Amino acid sequence: MDGWLRREDERLLTGAGRFVADLRVPACLDAVFVRSEVAHGVLREADCSAAREVPGVAGAWSAADLPDLPPMPLGEPAREWPALVEDRVRYPGEALAVVLGDDRYHAEDGAARVRTRIDPLPAVVTAQESAADTVRLFDGLSNVALRGEAGSPIDGEVWERAAVVVESDYRQQLLLPSPMECRTILCVPGGDRLTVWSGHQAPHRLRQDLAGLLDRPEESIRVVVPDTGGAFGSKSAVFPEFIVVAWLAVLLGRPVRWVEDRRESLLVATRGRGQDQHVRLAADAEGRLLAYELTVEADVGAYPHLGVAFPMQTAWMATGPYTTPKVHATVRSLLTNTMITYPYRGAGRPEATSPLERTMDVLARRLGLDPAELRRRNLIPPEAFPYRTPTGRTYDSGDHHAALDLALRTLGYDGWRAEQARRRADPDAFPIGIGLSCYVERSGGERGSLHEYVGVEAGDDGTVTARCGAASSGQSHATVFPALVAETLGVEPARVRLVEGDTDELPGGVGSFGSRSAQIDGAGLQHAAGLLIEEARERAARLWDLPVEETSWSDGAVHPVRGSAAMGLSELVKRTGPLRIDERYEADMAFPFGAHAAVVEVDPELGTVRVLQVVAVDDCGRALDPDVVRGQAFGSIVQGLGQALYEGVPFGDDGLPLLDGGLLDYLLPTYAEIPPIELGETHTPTPRTPLGAKGAGETGCIGTPPAIVNAVADALRLAHPERLQMPLTPDVVWRAAA
Amino acid sequence: MRITLTVNDAAYPLEVEPRRVLADALRDDCGLTGTHLGCEQGVCGACTVLVDGEAVRSCLMLAVQCDGVPIRTVEGLTGPDGQPHPLQRAFSAERGLQCGFCTPGFLMLAAGALDHDLSENEVADLVRSNLCRCTGYEPIRRAITRAAHAHQNGQDGRHRSV
Ligand code: FES
Ligand code: FES
Repeated sequence: MDGWLRREDERLLTGAGRFVADLRVPACLDAVFVRSEVAHGVLREADCSAAREVPGVAGAWSAADLPDLPPMPLGEPAREWPALVEDRVRYPGEALAVVLGDDRYHAEDGAARVRTRIDPLPAVVTAQESAADTVRLFDGLSNVALRGEAGSPIDGEVWERAAVVVESDYRQQLLLPSPMECRTILCVPGGDRLTVWSGHQAPHRLRQDLAGLLDRPEESIRVVVPDTGGAFGSKSAVFPEFIVVAWLAVLLGRPVRWVEDRRESLLVATRGRGQDQHVRLAADAEGRLLAYELTVEADVGAYPHLGVAFPMQTAWMATGPYTTPKVHATVRSLLTNTMITYPYRGAGRPEATSPLERTMDVLARRLGLDPAELRRRNLIPPEAFPYRTPTGRTYDSGDHHAALDLALRTLGYDGWRAEQARRRADPDAFPIGIGLSCYVERSGGERGSLHEYVGVEAGDDGTVTARCGAASSGQSHATVFPALVAETLGVEPARVRLVEGDTDELPGGVGSFGSRSAQIDGAGLQHAAGLLIEEARERAARLWDLPVEETSWSDGAVHPVRGSAAMGLSELVKRTGPLRIDERYEADMAFPFGAHAAVVEVDPELGTVRVLQVVAVDDCGRALDPDVVRGQAFGSIVQGLGQALYEGVPFGDDGLPLLDGGLLDYLLPTYAEIPPIELGETHTPTPRTPLGAKGAGETGCIGTPPAIVNAVADALRLAHPERLQMPLTPDVVWRAAA
Repeated sequence: MRITLTVNDAAYPLEVEPRRVLADALRDDCGLTGTHLGCEQGVCGACTVLVDGEAVRSCLMLAVQCDGVPIRTVEGLTGPDGQPHPLQRAFSAERGLQCGFCTPGFLMLAAGALDHDLSENEVADLVRSNLCRCTGYEPIRRAITRAAHAHQNGQDGRHRSV
């Protein structure tokens, strides 16, 4: 296409991309929120009167000024999450008031004049403190927001009879998803309609939520997702600020927007992970796994919401890629004084993979077995699929041994082991360590969200329009989906265009999260294109007065089986009328898998870790566009590297996150931190769709962190690996090595 | 204050408050929204533009500092003949962008350095100046290297300074 590899590229490379903050709407007001500087407290005063006097300020409101403002949806009535704080602050940065200005500067001037007073309360930021219930976020109610389990409790006898039992504690630290574009919403009222522009992963869900909140019909709201600057799970919900902006736009009858800045994002964007974990792993003397128990205490933030249930994903995936006969996982989600946790790239599967893979390495050391060999003895063999796990998952397909073997070959495993031995014999050499991690993840979604709207329409001008409910935030949908539809129809890709991310243009939709777009939308589009071919053949058969069986389809045209006449789509549409397929396509979840490996060099005196090599072998079944998949795999590994070594949210005693330095405190990996990374692939298509694609793009966050941590533990030959808790800062490593 | 911003060879007479940040003036007063804001604290580099040929973080500069100084933004990267800049081609060819939010910053950062032969280390120094959350940087490094070669060899039919 004119020298651009992706259709998205030309506009994004010439400054012609349109992100929400780039849209210009006349008379639009900018929203700025006045935020709590304490983690937990009683709001005594939020007085906006002085703010209203500031030039350029169109209005300022606290919760008391907006008595009908609806709270966040899907919460518990007894533990409501107000869109603006009413009487109790429960997380730092929670919005106390909003100021609208004719531009951001004036709105911020106004926000500086809002007078607030909060009587602080003790804050709880860890699951352990929260569980004690000595400080309660909601008076009279326990901080426990959810209890759950997967699998059945394991008999004491199993542990007693096992040759080896490894127990350990791990922390999956809070992470900030940190797309380079923070959250955005622009609400434009007009007539009896409200148009909402938002960088978002699920436009139809946002429309449904807003319709409910504003108590108006869904059809009266149009949600449009323009260019979106990354999401990674963090842009899939409705947020308190969204409610306020939509409410005020309707109230004032004026366009209002909120463009979150980085400082806000660090305080009040949804967080990922956040689990304290305890594990027990039992094996016999040959290293065959007998039982695995995972206990999760999740710090889920200040309000009950959808996110409290996500640790269950960890429980369901606790079995991992092994044939362990008995697995039991229990979860408690506990309220803490921080912004809520919500899916972040991997969402529950990194938290399942990391404790298991770290414990596998400890077990190997105890048994005197090579960690690769221990895994080989326990990986689910290819012939065992579909494989039902003790934690209730049915894995669709897999060849875990092939992935592990390819990872070891690509790494040059034996060569690194020899180098490790050489260095161990040399007192002057920095130690190196080799870490492995085998994972299985779930893609596509859970029951209830495994469907999607898909459509294909042929135009009378020879063009084809593909429609689906997904929403891209950088995943190349506009390139990849038209190519898939074109291939199915046998037409030039340039003739096919994609429509997504606009609720007015689509009869329905679910969105893009949980690695579902290729797997569900892709399979659905292929299916819809197939239905279009069937319909075209039927119409041509009627025109030609032939039985359908005597027509065939190739190269974008219907042919009679005998004879040479052919009718392309445009002619068919001209002669028989509009040709459009709209389908609700439903599939099933799939289980991508793979093996990651890392080699690190550690300076025990400085605590620094140098990653010498990362190898990631991923299997996502059929890759629609292998280069696009590799690009996402690579970026995902770098985010995984971030969790392993750099990213985290430390708290002060007052419960405030220690991130005043912004991105100088929250350390996103830069190019300086990128080690040599090699990607490998195996291809085991899912039998659950004809397309065979499984989800892709999250695996670096899942497989890479434990490989790196295992490598550091291996380098230091640690007897107590729980001293290594992510992120492995020099301080953590130095203390562990000491 | 009355100032004139000269952006991509066009003059924008503006009345701005002294506190107005260059990035906001470019985006909101000149309507050049290709320059993005990712942190507003000088870390991410999404807002990088060329001021008098030098790459700067436009979130850390005031518009009034740039009165009469030539500025180039991503919108001015394409040649007057409409031909894409070698960097733009190279970013696409090497898959140096996914969501594209950080991209204008990387493009302008590199554009400011392409006037001489870039060593491997210089390319690496450039790439580690800015943040990207999608690509993992390696494709960006390849893209800049490719564009630097194209530039040195006068491929794409021209030598062009930005
Ligand atoms: S916005 Fe200027 S450096 Fe990040
Ligand atoms: S391409 Fe998305 S931040 Fe760089």
